Amino acid sequence: MTIADQLPVLPIILPLVLAPFAILLRNGRAAHVFAVVVCGAAFAFCAMLLARVTAEGVISYALGDWAPPIGIEYRVDLANALVMLLVSGVATLAAAFSYASIRTEIDDRQLPLFYAAFMICMTGLLGVTVTGDAFNVFVFLEISSLSTYALVALGARVDRRALTAAFNYLVMGTLGATFFVIGLGLIYQATGTLNMADIRAQLSAGPPGAMPNSMVEAAFAFILVGMGLKAAAFPMHLWMPNAYAYAPSAVSAFIAAASTKVAVYVLIRFTFTIFGSDFDFIDAMLTYVLTPIALAGMFFASIVAVFQEDVKRMLAYSSVGQIGYMLLGISFGTEAGLQASLIHIFNHGLMKSALFMAVACVMLRLGVHTCSGFHGLTKRMPFTAAAFIFSGLSLVGVPLTVGFVSKWYLLQAAFDAGRPWAGFLIVASSLIAVVYVGRVIELILLRDPPSEGLLANDVDGNPVREAPLSMLIPMWVLVGANIYFGLRTDLTAEIAGRAAAALMGGAQ
Amino acid sequence: MSPESLFAALAINPAVILFAGAALAALLPGAQSALRRPLMLAVIAMSAAQLARLGLGEWGALTIFGEPVTMLRIDPLSRLFAIVFHIAAALNVVYGWHVRDRAQDFASLAYPAAALGGVTSGDLVTLFVWWEIAAITSVFLVWAPGTRMTFLTGMRYLVIQVLSGTLLLAGVVLVYRETGSLAFNEIGLRDASGAVKASGLVLFIAFGIKAAFPLLHNWVQDAYPKSTIAGSIVLSIFTTKLAVASLARAFPAEPALIYIGATMTIFPIFFALIENDLRKVLCYSINNQVGFMVCAIGLGSINGAAGYAFGNIIFEGLLFMALGAAMFRTGTSMATELGGLYRTMPLTMILCIVGALSISAFPGTLGFVTKGLIIDAAGEGHLFWIWLALLFASAGVLEHAGIKIPFFTFFAHDSGKRPAEAPLPMLIAMGVSAALCVLLGLFPAPLYALLPDQAAIAEYHPYTAYHVVEQLQLLVWATIAFGVLKAMKWYPAEVPSTNLDTDWLYRAPGRSLMFWAVDAAKAVWTLAWRGFQGRVVAAFARVYQVHGPEGQLARAWPIGFMALSVAATLAFALVFALVV
Repeated sequence: MTIADQLPVLPIILPLVLAPFAILLRNGRAAHVFAVVVCGAAFAFCAMLLARVTAEGVISYALGDWAPPIGIEYRVDLANALVMLLVSGVATLAAAFSYASIRTEIDDRQLPLFYAAFMICMTGLLGVTVTGDAFNVFVFLEISSLSTYALVALGARVDRRALTAAFNYLVMGTLGATFFVIGLGLIYQATGTLNMADIRAQLSAGPPGAMPNSMVEAAFAFILVGMGLKAAAFPMHLWMPNAYAYAPSAVSAFIAAASTKVAVYVLIRFTFTIFGSDFDFIDAMLTYVLTPIALAGMFFASIVAVFQEDVKRMLAYSSVGQIGYMLLGISFGTEAGLQASLIHIFNHGLMKSALFMAVACVMLRLGVHTCSGFHGLTKRMPFTAAAFIFSGLSLVGVPLTVGFVSKWYLLQAAFDAGRPWAGFLIVASSLIAVVYVGRVIELILLRDPPSEGLLANDVDGNPVREAPLSMLIPMWVLVGANIYFGLRTDLTAEIAGRAAAALMGGAQ
Repeated sequence: MSPESLFAALAINPAVILFAGAALAALLPGAQSALRRPLMLAVIAMSAAQLARLGLGEWGALTIFGEPVTMLRIDPLSRLFAIVFHIAAALNVVYGWHVRDRAQDFASLAYPAAALGGVTSGDLVTLFVWWEIAAITSVFLVWAPGTRMTFLTGMRYLVIQVLSGTLLLAGVVLVYRETGSLAFNEIGLRDASGAVKASGLVLFIAFGIKAAFPLLHNWVQDAYPKSTIAGSIVLSIFTTKLAVASLARAFPAEPALIYIGATMTIFPIFFALIENDLRKVLCYSINNQVGFMVCAIGLGSINGAAGYAFGNIIFEGLLFMALGAAMFRTGTSMATELGGLYRTMPLTMILCIVGALSISAFPGTLGFVTKGLIIDAAGEGHLFWIWLALLFASAGVLEHAGIKIPFFTFFAHDSGKRPAEAPLPMLIAMGVSAALCVLLGLFPAPLYALLPDQAAIAEYHPYTAYHVVEQLQLLVWATIAFGVLKAMKWYPAEVPSTNLDTDWLYRAPGRSLMFWAVDAAKAVWTLAWRGFQGRVVAAFARVYQVHGPEGQLARAWPIGFMALSVAATLAFALVFALVV
């Protein structure tokens, strides 16, 4: 067995094992460099995985050489390789981005701990994505969630509300995980296995009419709600705006792009690979439960975003709305809808992360993340302002950006699925996005920077300067990705299309 | 279809290349404005190279929400127009080398791009989009002088152009309802039983407005002469020719077009003879010239229409340029204030005469080899009166365009003005135009090879004794008539005056009617709004109450409520999982 055969496990095992060593580094700068290197290595492995899956098809890896279904299986197909690429890529950029910003927001002595938690969080998210074992999903989910609670709570030095936000997140996250594990328990009771492919086989085997029974149906309901909570789907999103708003800026940039997307991915995996849309009850659930949840998020959360004074909270509510688009794509129950959903998972990660990074730059210089910090930003921090504008336009869905690609496929999927009304609602809710993004862009472009008061100068009382290069470069890499993938749509669309086709074909 | 294929379809389209170049030129900062014209020329070359590379065929076949569209179709008809649009756009860029105006530079490339996109569109939706872009981009040329008068003129122009666009859209919808297809092919004015179709009629009028059919023509004389020197040349070329190309495609051999065209060739002559502003004379000449093309379409001679459009763009443009050069040096285009310029502008004078000979279809010029196609088609159709009307109109062309323009500009009474020769870029543009007039006039084979109907052109020989003698007779007699009229002082002398055209009808009584309608609409709206306003305000207040920072949806809720909302969702999901 060569090292190349171990590729699926490397992005997980490497940060998992190395993260504790970050604590041993007493110096924050060293921990930062260490984290960037480890995350970068994970990203490189994920890119290699995606390349290999694209070329060779599904990779199955038996952990510890215990053959599935008894042992834990890592199963990489296009869908999770794409999500892993997003998670590790954003993690690397956010880690590189974080140093200048996090240094001003948390105690110096906590820096090594911060980077350790950050790496653990990424490991957990990658593990959730890579695994082919249903219970293993839960384990990694807890790993990532616990470290996220800690990361959010670190924001307390700047704003004490981070503590309540983290506590609420902890309670709600645990609730979601509990529902999820209840669902798993029911499945295990019904099928006697935890391997995803095996569950699928057990569900479709047996005498006709035996499956699905009400235990399986209830299991799906629990998993849907548990993952919906982790994904911050509409009525279960209440923990999320505060968690994103009061977490340290760099943390928001990472978890906004990665953690909710991973939850949506798990939902897709369970809905289509494990249960399969050939069950009538899945169809009914998608239509009658997921569709209203999606639509409510698209409208109510977006309208809330319009009135927010705090830009981070606004972006958080916008995320709830954007999650609505992903769930809407899933709820069509078609291949095109699934493709659109996967594309939007990837694309939304790119744009939201870039937006939160821009807010982090403003936070670094001006010490606020409210709208007032954005007045006349072009005159004070032109590159940050431009990054916010470009990724904001991407969020709205302006052509030549990834947002347009997402909306386009989503619209096509809506029309293909015979739900033109959904297409009109997508356009209508995009108009709300025009308002909440346009509102901030108006401040950036047309207002004059305040000449007196607290915001006339930066936090140290000097004239406001552009953010440091260590922040600008990662942010602009993401902005560039927003435009690059907006032009080269074949990359994401083709991978997502093939992934969707494989998912709809059931577990192979 | 994917956005990728949309971008690919756009990137391949020469019109999009031109349009992108226009946008790029407009973005150049003011300090670099001298680079704009070279950049524009390079973009035109790129677009032309793309056109040559593509050859004939269809591209950009996309399905947009279930409807197939063809964004780019290059067939012999559209290719001919595309080629001459490129030539004209390039000549205009060179001619206006001195211009340093962002809006004008943008429009002189974007507007030809839109016209190009229109003639090469393979479906009605694409046509509509370019049609509107052409309307909107061209108005910047009307506005370019920046006075209040040109602003108002531009608004009038825009209203009429947008009206044409709206009619086009209505026509597209009607055609789609009738045929279930958006393809842009022969549509026809009449159905099988010979009755006029609503869809055909609406499209016919939409095209007719842009082609400046009689009574729909006033916007040409209103807007074009008020633009800048370079601007009015650009304007004079594209809109009407786009309409001609569209008519040729949608309504070939429609008999109504014969009579409309014949009328168009004749009525402007009288206005042109008494008009003092020579640029306005040329605008009437546009009507007359387009009349020949429209007539050719009605006669079924697409070769005649397309060929003459090609020729006309070159020599009419040349006349506009020569007059523009005189205007550039003297600041006026009034016949009463010009005259005697041949002393100091001999080159411009010679080039102008080449254009005048060409528009009069003198043998050996581009006009002769293209107009002959039309006259011949009328003769072969045994339509005596039409043939006679076209001959009369040809004589009229000689009077007002062939003789009046060069005569009153460069000869006639000596105005005492001694301007310098035209600047070099203008001379280059005019020289190339004149060379094309003469070369293609003597050796028409390359032009004929591009005509749409190759079977018909194979049997046509321009330089037969009959054609040459007929044309020379016409020209000699018309010249003699001018001489006699002038000698007897019967020729309308140049007088500064305002000549009323039919547009008085809508500019005086029509205006009152419109203001009455505006007031009435305002009153109705105020009334309706009063009942409505309260509710809208209340609805927004309610939205804010719920979604605003302190609203139920945005508040930071206690943890118990969060859990409750999750539990409620779970109950909801379970009900559907277990019961449904």
